[in-house]
Amino acid sequence: MTVADPDHELAERFRDGDRAAFDVLVRRHQKGMWRLIRRYVKNDADAADVTQLAFVRAFRGLAGFRGTATVRSWLYRIAINCALSWLRDHRREHPAELADDLLTEDNPAHAQLSERDDRIRLRAAIAQLPPKQKLVLELRVFDDLAFKEVADLADCSENTAKVNFHYAVKRLRDILGADHEP
Amino acid sequence: MSRDRRDARVAGTPDGHAGSEGPDAPDAPDGHGPELLTAYVDGITELPPDERRAVEAWLARDPNARDEADAVKTVLGRVRALPPGDGDEPDWAAMERSIRQAVDAERTRPWWRSWRWLVPAMTCATAAGVLLVIWPRPAPIAVPRRPIIERPVAEPPAGDHVVALWLDGAEVDVDVDVDAESDLALGAPDLLGEAGAAGAAGAADDAGTPDEVGLLPATDLVWLDQLDAAALDRAERWLAGAAGNPSSAGGAAGSHAPQGPHRKKT
Repeated sequence: MTVADPDHELAERFRDGDRAAFDVLVRRHQKGMWRLIRRYVKNDADAADVTQLAFVRAFRGLAGFRGTATVRSWLYRIAINCALSWLRDHRREHPAELADDLLTEDNPAHAQLSERDDRIRLRAAIAQLPPKQKLVLELRVFDDLAFKEVADLADCSENTAKVNFHYAVKRLRDILGADHEP
Repeated sequence: MSRDRRDARVAGTPDGHAGSEGPDAPDAPDGHGPELLTAYVDGITELPPDERRAVEAWLARDPNARDEADAVKTVLGRVRALPPGDGDEPDWAAMERSIRQAVDAERTRPWWRSWRWLVPAMTCATAAGVLLVIWPRPAPIAVPRRPIIERPVAEPPAGDHVVALWLDGAEVDVDVDVDAESDLALGAPDLLGEAGAAGAAGAADDAGTPDEVGLLPATDLVWLDQLDAAALDRAERWLAGAAGNPSSAGGAAGSHAPQGPHRKKT
């Protein structure tokens, strides 16, 4: 099944020399890029910097974009690479924010979860997913990507992306369901 | 094994339980896995028509499948409700401006300030340097030293114009570089054929003997013992004729030694 790419025309215009087409791409995708990067970079300002860097790289490479994937998934691929590169460079400065004990039974907030705690636990549960399941779930749920685009970014087949998504949801249900058991 | 099946198996067994569906899991339609239900709940429009119809038939006949679908919807709803950041989202207009500025700087940056060309250039330069160092140079070819063979110099054949110098065993220094004209001017005998030829014109005018040849032609000198009989006879006749003219007979002046650097012939 092919995914119609609404950005394809913009990429073509950019290749033909219309630099304003890139501004449209920025306006259209900066939120999604920032949110995607923000899941890796645990700071809003740093995420904005990495987003800017990702767009600069996209500007350099858009002329060579071959169109085998959608422009959006190509941009998101750049964003993920930039975020991972940033994490590698700043590993010592930004230790993991979520403590592992959030998922343990000894957590004192376990009995009465406020809404904020519920979010924290949900994020912790997502963070505990195997890397590929986590990536597929986030791309699908947070970035609203089609399964084909998810597969492109996760470097797997579309069917594998669906399977990973299924088991990610199942595991979240297990974790969150256990939280509410007496 | 196809990549789909391999990846699916790996994805389903990361910790030993994520891949097991459990006893309450609904039975998927033939030829389909349980992931089809999740994909249906979250992306009904992305399923091919045949898969969509299979799931709808499954939900219609299996209450466990309907419960499963509701649970998936609930979890995904909670996950989707998570805010992307800590709270307030950034100022998108300000971010767009900063991105545009960064991209404009990229547009106006001259090509030679781009670091991208530097890496391949340095790589090529380094590779070239390494190649220069490690490139095997051809070993010098060992040429066997051959003994120097002295070949006899081919002597010019004796011609009619060749005259011989009768040395009578005396040693004569002959300066072939001597300025013949200056020697002639000083009254020295013309020992060189060229000088003799050059001076012959003047001498012929004086002596009235235009056919007189020089004593020693610059070329075609031969040793006496290599003269054939005719040349030897001519030399004998020339010497006999020159006996009364000492200035033109080098043989009679065998002890003459011109000035300047000498080349010895015996």
